[in-house]
Amino acid sequence: MKPAEAIDDIADAPPEPRSALVRAFAVFNANKTSWVGVIVFGAIVAMAALAPLISPYDPIEQDIIARLQPPSAEHWFGTDMFGRDVLSRVIWGSQISLIVSIASIAVALLVGGTIGLVSGYIGGRTDLLIMQAMDVLLSFPSLIMGLIVVAMLGPDLINLIIAIALTAVAPFARIARAPTIVLKERAFVEAGRALGFSHIRIVLVHILPNLLAEVLVMGSLWMATAVRVEASLSFIGLGVRPPTPTWGGMINEGFENILDAPWLSIYPGLAILILVFALNMLGDGLRDATDPKLRGE
Amino acid sequence: MGRYILKRLAAAVPTLLAVLTVVFLLVRVVPGDPAQTILGDQATAEALAALRARLGLDRPLHVQYFEFVFAALRGDLGNSLVSGRPIIDEVVAVLPHTIDLTLAALVIGSIFGIPLGIWAAMHRNRFIDYVTRIGSLLGLSFPVFVSGIFLLLVFALHWRWFPVIGTSSSADFGDRMHRLVLPAVNLGLIMAAYITRVTRSAMLQVLGEDYVRTARAKGVPRRVVVWRHALRNALIPVVTVIGLYLGILIGNSVLTEIVFNRPGLGKVIVGALNQRDYPMLQGLLVIYCFLIVVVNIATDLTYGLIDPRVKHA
Amino acid sequence: MRISRRAFTAGAAAILASTGASAQQQPKKVLNVGMAAQDIGRLDPNYATTTIDLVVVGWMFNGLVRFRPGSMNPETIEPDLAERWQSSPDGKTWTFQLRRGVQFHGGYGEMKAGDVVFSLLRAADPQRSGFAADFRAFDAVEAVDDYTVRLRLKENVPSLLGLVTNYHGGMIVSKRAVEERGERFQREPIGTGPFAYGELRARQSLELVAHEQYFRGRPKLDRISYRFIQSDASRDLAFQNGEIDLMLGRQEQTWADRVKQIPNAAVDVFEPGELSMLHINVTQAPFNDIRVRQAVAHAINREELVRFKGADVSRMPQSVIPMGYLGSAQAPLLPFNQERARALLREAGHPNGLTVRVIHTQLPSMLAGMQVVQSQLRRVGINMEMEVVEHATFHAQIRRNLSPIVHYAAARFPIADTYLTQFFHSRSIVGTPTAVTNFCHTNIADAEIDAARVSTDANEQRRLWGEAQRKLAEQVCAVPMYEGLQVWGRRANLEYGHPLQGSLSLGPMITELTHFK
Repeated sequence: MKPAEAIDDIADAPPEPRSALVRAFAVFNANKTSWVGVIVFGAIVAMAALAPLISPYDPIEQDIIARLQPPSAEHWFGTDMFGRDVLSRVIWGSQISLIVSIASIAVALLVGGTIGLVSGYIGGRTDLLIMQAMDVLLSFPSLIMGLIVVAMLGPDLINLIIAIALTAVAPFARIARAPTIVLKERAFVEAGRALGFSHIRIVLVHILPNLLAEVLVMGSLWMATAVRVEASLSFIGLGVRPPTPTWGGMINEGFENILDAPWLSIYPGLAILILVFALNMLGDGLRDATDPKLRGE
Repeated sequence: MGRYILKRLAAAVPTLLAVLTVVFLLVRVVPGDPAQTILGDQATAEALAALRARLGLDRPLHVQYFEFVFAALRGDLGNSLVSGRPIIDEVVAVLPHTIDLTLAALVIGSIFGIPLGIWAAMHRNRFIDYVTRIGSLLGLSFPVFVSGIFLLLVFALHWRWFPVIGTSSSADFGDRMHRLVLPAVNLGLIMAAYITRVTRSAMLQVLGEDYVRTARAKGVPRRVVVWRHALRNALIPVVTVIGLYLGILIGNSVLTEIVFNRPGLGKVIVGALNQRDYPMLQGLLVIYCFLIVVVNIATDLTYGLIDPRVKHA
Repeated sequence: MRISRRAFTAGAAAILASTGASAQQQPKKVLNVGMAAQDIGRLDPNYATTTIDLVVVGWMFNGLVRFRPGSMNPETIEPDLAERWQSSPDGKTWTFQLRRGVQFHGGYGEMKAGDVVFSLLRAADPQRSGFAADFRAFDAVEAVDDYTVRLRLKENVPSLLGLVTNYHGGMIVSKRAVEERGERFQREPIGTGPFAYGELRARQSLELVAHEQYFRGRPKLDRISYRFIQSDASRDLAFQNGEIDLMLGRQEQTWADRVKQIPNAAVDVFEPGELSMLHINVTQAPFNDIRVRQAVAHAINREELVRFKGADVSRMPQSVIPMGYLGSAQAPLLPFNQERARALLREAGHPNGLTVRVIHTQLPSMLAGMQVVQSQLRRVGINMEMEVVEHATFHAQIRRNLSPIVHYAAARFPIADTYLTQFFHSRSIVGTPTAVTNFCHTNIADAEIDAARVSTDANEQRRLWGEAQRKLAEQVCAVPMYEGLQVWGRRANLEYGHPLQGSLSLGPMITELTHFK
């Protein structure tokens, strides 16, 4: 029994995307917390995009004389062991967090979603086999899996994205599969099949739109996880190459200096917290907006 | 019941075997040489080759693979390349620390999570509900190493209430518990956040069910409905999540162990990876996956206890 | 309920003692050491290679001879298990007279010539030792009688005594224990040193106990608890809270300055200096052009690097081998000159600078220094992209020529021959069957290194070693960055029993004389 799966509530009629969206927006709009999530997330995206304009210093320029300075008017967040401005590095660090999380979730969504759709649509033994493979994938702790994959491929931006995507493929496959199985038996899909529509068309037109809502919810929640995993890998020392600033990497350097310079870990730590929190609020709001149970009340 | 467990275990064998294969291959594709980590950087290429031969690492992959699988099926996971000790011994040596931490986190998580979740559900969309939801969301959003560092900064460094080192070498129980507090709270609060949310949504769902509404309509007092009817059913998803969360706990425990300098399974896995200790890494992941299977079965059995309607066919 | 006053004070004292706060009354007899480790690796001296293992192995074993405790200068070599020795006029036969009555740990009996022969042959056997290559020149080792060992060499070696010191394969193990314990010996070895294996608390600590029958007398300390505390910050905190008395420190000025502020704390800085260098592959473009290598050398600001690491804990290197070794010379290193570096790059056809991709370890101490170098190179137009991989991958990949520049930090046995051979002799070029760590693929100093090794004339030997260093520096095969010293923190009332200037085991020697004041 899976509490999250509200399969039975998917309407028997063909989907009406527009009205569903309008309704979803109304619910989303009613939920204030999700707006906070959207605004904060938007602010972080803006910060990442405008990093070259708003960061007070060059994030990689070293000044060995001015190392490990506490927060001051000159350096609001202090300087790190190389004399680099922590505030500038926090600002620039948002880029990596966002790029890695968005890209990895997009990949996971695409790959996992396709696997789930195809597996569920085909059904039978193939489905069983694919899902068992997904179970294997699921049974690895995501951080350990990320560690092994990054150790194998070498830590750089692309490999990090692959590693994190890999940890999220299985959940997306499951999400896409469950409703597909139910939907393909429904009247409107069978009708389409009787009319001789191709499988691809049936999947794209009739099944995919029904999954969109749940996939979006999962996407934003998993993005939060992706941000955390990226930060964790960087914290362990397997992040994007230096001197590129990353929040997890900054905490890693800061942790070793925690007695001399606690600000090195505090500010990037807060940055991660805020981003993940915003994504979770956003996901929560989306979930409420799309959950038919809640919608009905 | 016994047959049911056996059947479930048997069903898990193919999955375990697949895991074994994936692990075996993954580990060997990672660049790095166990002989080098043992002999150090002054070793000549000849010395490395000699050691690899002695450790059996120069044999064809399929030979190594079948040997590993057959030994594993016999329950023999081999010896660590680095220490030379049996893997089981190494695992048993750190297991108590992991169990301490996991159980403590589980207890903290349930003590805070379940009542909070119920409370929030009963006061849906009121102030308490909002505070609980935002609080639990915040808890979910903390990367464990960040929360761990914050806890260290505040309670160990600033106030000095707790020691920095997460384990003691003395066998004193009080000391052991004292040192467990910060790491357990670190994991436990995140766990509490998960449990709060699941409990809340499960409660909401159950409270909306027909039989609960009927019971209320019949004039059964609200408290009785909540405790007798709703809670029991709401606990099933909660138990599922606790089971599922054990997996996440391992990942998070790695980071907690690093921050609080505690020994444990997670840290051993990372250490084995760093040293390219193939048998150790394989063994650990096999044990780990086995644990997951057992936890899953245990979770299913717990349903039966909570809700007798769930039958094990 | 009444508790007698005496019982109460006794209880209070016990509580105090357990928290380690009663040092005032009676000198402490237990030494708590904090080491950056998750576990020990192998304590068999033939396989102990990491700092973690070397430090403790140094407390558990003896060699035929030893460096005077607290020193790693070959001139201080003094008798250890051997009382005296003679060598034949051609330097190829050596006879050692053993000390009588030396007892092994754990009741393994008296150490005799048989154990010495067994230990040295074992150290020279690639199947049972990681250091077999050091003993290449050994022809025969035999027991003349129970207390006399004779050693014959195929060819001269720069320092025979160096091979039989309390270092690496020179340490003497119990033959019976090795044979009885098998694989268990790797973790529970038997030696003759002042401290013996007690217990291994998995992933927590290694407990050593005093060797009651130690031949120099019973150690003043009763126990050593060697705790595995990986994180620098945790070790610092544990030291600050009095949980440990001696700890591996951080090669950093800020660290040393802060620890000195702690009451009853002292910082030890000692040899060997680990020389950090950029080894440049001279066969790969663009570095096959000496002007590009010179540009790199001119771009490196050693002064800034030493300022970054800290003046107390690091120093400016003088040559392509660490200073203070037998045979170290002043080599003509190129000075810091950014203008010259840019000009050389232009001359070499890189007017817009160039980009180079290097592989680097994630080891924080090495990575920090390299990030300073990265920034220095950037200022002359060399964009160094660093692929940071974890340490095992790093070691595998640099040995497969995947990085044109290799940052390597190392200390070796303090004789020029070892360092020169491992890093610059063509026999050691990575990728070959005899490979060690020659990452620059050079062979220009082979003749000098080989001639010096077998030379019996000390002056000629020094000249040859000096010539080799000059050539290597001139051809810019490697660019020295800084020398990092060993840094440890300790309670000020912990007395080693000797002045600590250097230690080949990379940690302070804890001997029978070490005690708390």
